[in-house]
Amino acid sequence: MSVPDDGSARAGGPIRGPQSLAAGLGLIALGVFAVWAGSDLPQGTLGAMGPGLMPRWLGIGVAACGVALVLAGFLKTGEPLPPVAWRGVVVVMLAIVAFAVTIRPVPVGPFTTPGLGLIVAGPLAIIVGGYASPEARFGELVCLALLLTAGCMLLFGDLLNLPIPMFPTVVIEALSGSISMRLLLRLSAGVLILLGIGMVALLRSGARRRPVDVATHSLTT
Amino acid sequence: MTTTFTRRALGALGLAATVGLAGQAAAETFPQRPITMVVPFAAGGPTDIVARLVAEQMSRSLGQQVVIENVSGAGGTTGITRAAQASPDGYTIMMGHMGTHGAAPALFKGLKYDPAKSFDPIGMAAGTPIVIVAKKDFPAADLKAFVEAVKAGGPKVNQAHAGVGSVSHSTGVLFDSIIGAKPTLVVYRGTGPALNDLMANQVDFMTDQIVNVATQITGGTIKAYAIATAERSPALPDVPTTKEAGLPGYEVSAWNAVFAPKGLPQDVAKKLQDALASALADAGTKKRILDLGGTVPSTAEQGPKALQALVESEVARWTPVLRAAVDASGQ
Amino acid sequence: MTDLLANLGLGFSVALSLQNLGLCFLGCLVGTLIGVLPGVGPIATIAMLLPITFGLDPVGALIMLAGIYYGAQYGGSTTAILVNIPGEATSVVTTLDGHQMARQGRAGIALGIAAMGSFFAGTVATLLIAALGAPLTGLAMVFGPAEYFALMVMGLVFAVVLARGSVLKAVAMILVGVLLASVGTDLETGQERMTFGLSFLSDGVDFSVLAMGLFGVAEILRNLDQTETRDVVRQQIGRLLPSRADLKQAAPSVLRGTAIGSILGILPGNGAVLGPFASYAIEKRIARDPSRFGRGAIEGVAGPESANNAGSQTSFIPLLTLGIPPNAVMALMVGAMTIHGIIPGPGVMTKNPNLFWGMIASMWIGNLMLLIINLPLVGLWVRLLKVPYRLMFPAILMFCSIGIYSINSLPTDVMLIAFFGLLGYGLIKLGFEPAPMLLGFVLGRLMEEYLRRSLTLSRGDPMVFFERPVTAVLLVISVVMLVAALTPALRKSRDEVFTEA
Repeated sequence: MSVPDDGSARAGGPIRGPQSLAAGLGLIALGVFAVWAGSDLPQGTLGAMGPGLMPRWLGIGVAACGVALVLAGFLKTGEPLPPVAWRGVVVVMLAIVAFAVTIRPVPVGPFTTPGLGLIVAGPLAIIVGGYASPEARFGELVCLALLLTAGCMLLFGDLLNLPIPMFPTVVIEALSGSISMRLLLRLSAGVLILLGIGMVALLRSGARRRPVDVATHSLTT
Repeated sequence: MTTTFTRRALGALGLAATVGLAGQAAAETFPQRPITMVVPFAAGGPTDIVARLVAEQMSRSLGQQVVIENVSGAGGTTGITRAAQASPDGYTIMMGHMGTHGAAPALFKGLKYDPAKSFDPIGMAAGTPIVIVAKKDFPAADLKAFVEAVKAGGPKVNQAHAGVGSVSHSTGVLFDSIIGAKPTLVVYRGTGPALNDLMANQVDFMTDQIVNVATQITGGTIKAYAIATAERSPALPDVPTTKEAGLPGYEVSAWNAVFAPKGLPQDVAKKLQDALASALADAGTKKRILDLGGTVPSTAEQGPKALQALVESEVARWTPVLRAAVDASGQ
Repeated sequence: MTDLLANLGLGFSVALSLQNLGLCFLGCLVGTLIGVLPGVGPIATIAMLLPITFGLDPVGALIMLAGIYYGAQYGGSTTAILVNIPGEATSVVTTLDGHQMARQGRAGIALGIAAMGSFFAGTVATLLIAALGAPLTGLAMVFGPAEYFALMVMGLVFAVVLARGSVLKAVAMILVGVLLASVGTDLETGQERMTFGLSFLSDGVDFSVLAMGLFGVAEILRNLDQTETRDVVRQQIGRLLPSRADLKQAAPSVLRGTAIGSILGILPGNGAVLGPFASYAIEKRIARDPSRFGRGAIEGVAGPESANNAGSQTSFIPLLTLGIPPNAVMALMVGAMTIHGIIPGPGVMTKNPNLFWGMIASMWIGNLMLLIINLPLVGLWVRLLKVPYRLMFPAILMFCSIGIYSINSLPTDVMLIAFFGLLGYGLIKLGFEPAPMLLGFVLGRLMEEYLRRSLTLSRGDPMVFFERPVTAVLLVISVVMLVAALTPALRKSRDEVFTEA
């Protein structure tokens, strides 16, 4: 049921299979890199194989496959290089990294990011990530972020008791003693859910009045 | 748009109110929120089991949950490094063990902590005796004959261990250096596969924690020559101690102990020490640890001073032995 | 035979108590839900629920934990089919045809056949454990390092067969996978290999991290630039459950998958991981039209899923009879048992017959419950596919991040999924398939270990691989399969050139 890409028969120039060529070059680079990266490791003997033996031969093997693919790129007509959607790539990477550096304190160079917990990291990942698609709508993403984060807090924090930081470290330290963590978790999840539901209702009514506005707005951001 | 603004304003107000509330409460006593105990190994292993048993009881006496966080990696040093860098407020503690606080300085060159200096010791939790086990067809009748056979066999004898930095590695290398033998080391990823090959007669012997090998010994699929503690273990009453069997120099146990990052306030440290001590005094916890073949430290061995002394002596004991072994295998 | 019946009778009398039935159901339900979330595996769940089981009696506790294990195993396949993310090494293969089926609007059929195949396999495996558990452990003793090495080589050959497109690219991917597996601290010497001084690489790359990146994130990136193909998923939903014709088509694959999975699961050296791959390779090989595979062939779901479940069931044999955990989840089960004062090993069957037979009986009951839980859920899961993709992918992104973080509590792991996602996307763009790479990664580490261990034991004599009958036979099979895989491929690639030209 797969629809074949429309990449048939494209002759002209010495390069007949640009995809194979690029793939081959990539493999050669990787192979050479592996051999270099493992060059300081002892090879050992057959009786006591050193840690460097396997990586070296694997690197050579990968590079050999690369050479074969490069040759194929010159000899055999193949697929062209498909275009890359940079927006998606960059934004998704950003979203994941944003989650990683906010979930708990992470040392980045000389300073450390503040640990903000799931309550910040979750919505951040969803809202930032959502903009990877050109169809992103801010309001929708906020609803999703609020509701899913609340669900995850209840599931992972309350039900499964996984040691995932839920709140900013500052808030935990400030609030400790005045309120039990579990209650705080349930309360804030409840608030998130209410906010989320409110947003959904708001969007519904807003959509009825001005159906286009949101979409164009998000596209310009 | 206006609605968003109002919500923001409301949110800010709410936050301000809660922070104000918290300011009053901060002066109250420790602990006010759950405590994280970092276990530097995967869930289910001997250290993890000890940690969970102890944490369960400590939660009761502290009135706050002690949550286990498994941060495994690099022979346990990843988790300990992270816990060592946590703020010393008592909310992050860790379950260290013989490897992370004894053998690690010899094995990991770029170690970011010093077992003797980077921590405030809380107390010992449990010890696990080491047993010398061999394949069931090994001809030697007792430990003396076994030692002779290993020495005479030289590289023809195969000794299994569960990976560089594991308890079976450190204690095995120590055994070799004490008896002066140089068997071929066969490395496994974890105790399970090593035991499997021991049962299948692929390798000749290994040294490991009693909890890992007890059922196989009683089941008769492998045999034990000696247990490396001062007294026999109730889990294996027929196995002689190394002293009884004629190798008094080989006395070693894989211990687990609770540490906190350096700089803990006195009263917090005291609370944690008491909680740990009362956890170990609990009959149920004690019985569970003993059932595993472990040992519960006596009151004299249990406290922070004894632990600090132990850590220092362990680092001094393992460093030369392990450095020599690593140099030999690293070519 | 009377013994068997008496034992099973004892087992069912334990497992059918109201409390144990409830715990079994709870375990299966939690397991399924956890398994469905990408990235959150059974290990984290079992570890966290362990303290809750302190208050229970050991039999009940273990029944519940076992339920989580196979529930999660099953739930993982659901994610593999619906969103193309394998939660476990064993569900990598399910993504190949299962997700294709979902794209064709046949998600319900794929999920249904997976549930039914798993139930059948689970039933057979349970009987097998009950009847032959003890004698089968003998097999474990026949397999030494050399045999395991040969087995892993065979597995890597299966990986070539798995590939849909160019064989050359598949081989390259396998090599890259093995290469990636060698990153980290060397097991034998403790030296760091290709870690570039980065401490988070010193234990190598975690399987879930790699899988989540190569499949989860890369799949999102790919979908983001292919508007047409992802719409296919929500285009039409079609039947919810397999038709009679589907069942007939899948039945032989289920039988074969069950047999393969059961046998491999018994091996304590994590043989179960090979089951689905072996089953897929065989199904593809004997199919009248192998080109259907990778394009939504029902046999490609039925066989591997059955093998997967059979293997996850029979891998309890080495645990219960030898006390040797074949994989990380089983190691955790050992921990759970020890906490409850039962140390698994040769004595369990005689010392704790209640526990042993109760657990075996509960496995069958658990499988039945999985079927009961999952068949109605199929409708729900399928409806989930109707969620617009612009909302679906940020959710997947967050679940992946949380799941990966929950494994080791390391933010660097989360960043690595971004890296591998980028890598996976690049590979897709260059016409590579990620599945063989993942296989190479899983098997490569084991293969190197076994290779070095056998050579250490033979003091460097490679004859060790030819003198031992089992090893020799496995290696010969691998060579034959490799040649068979290469020859038609050469012919086929020629044909492709013709059609393209």
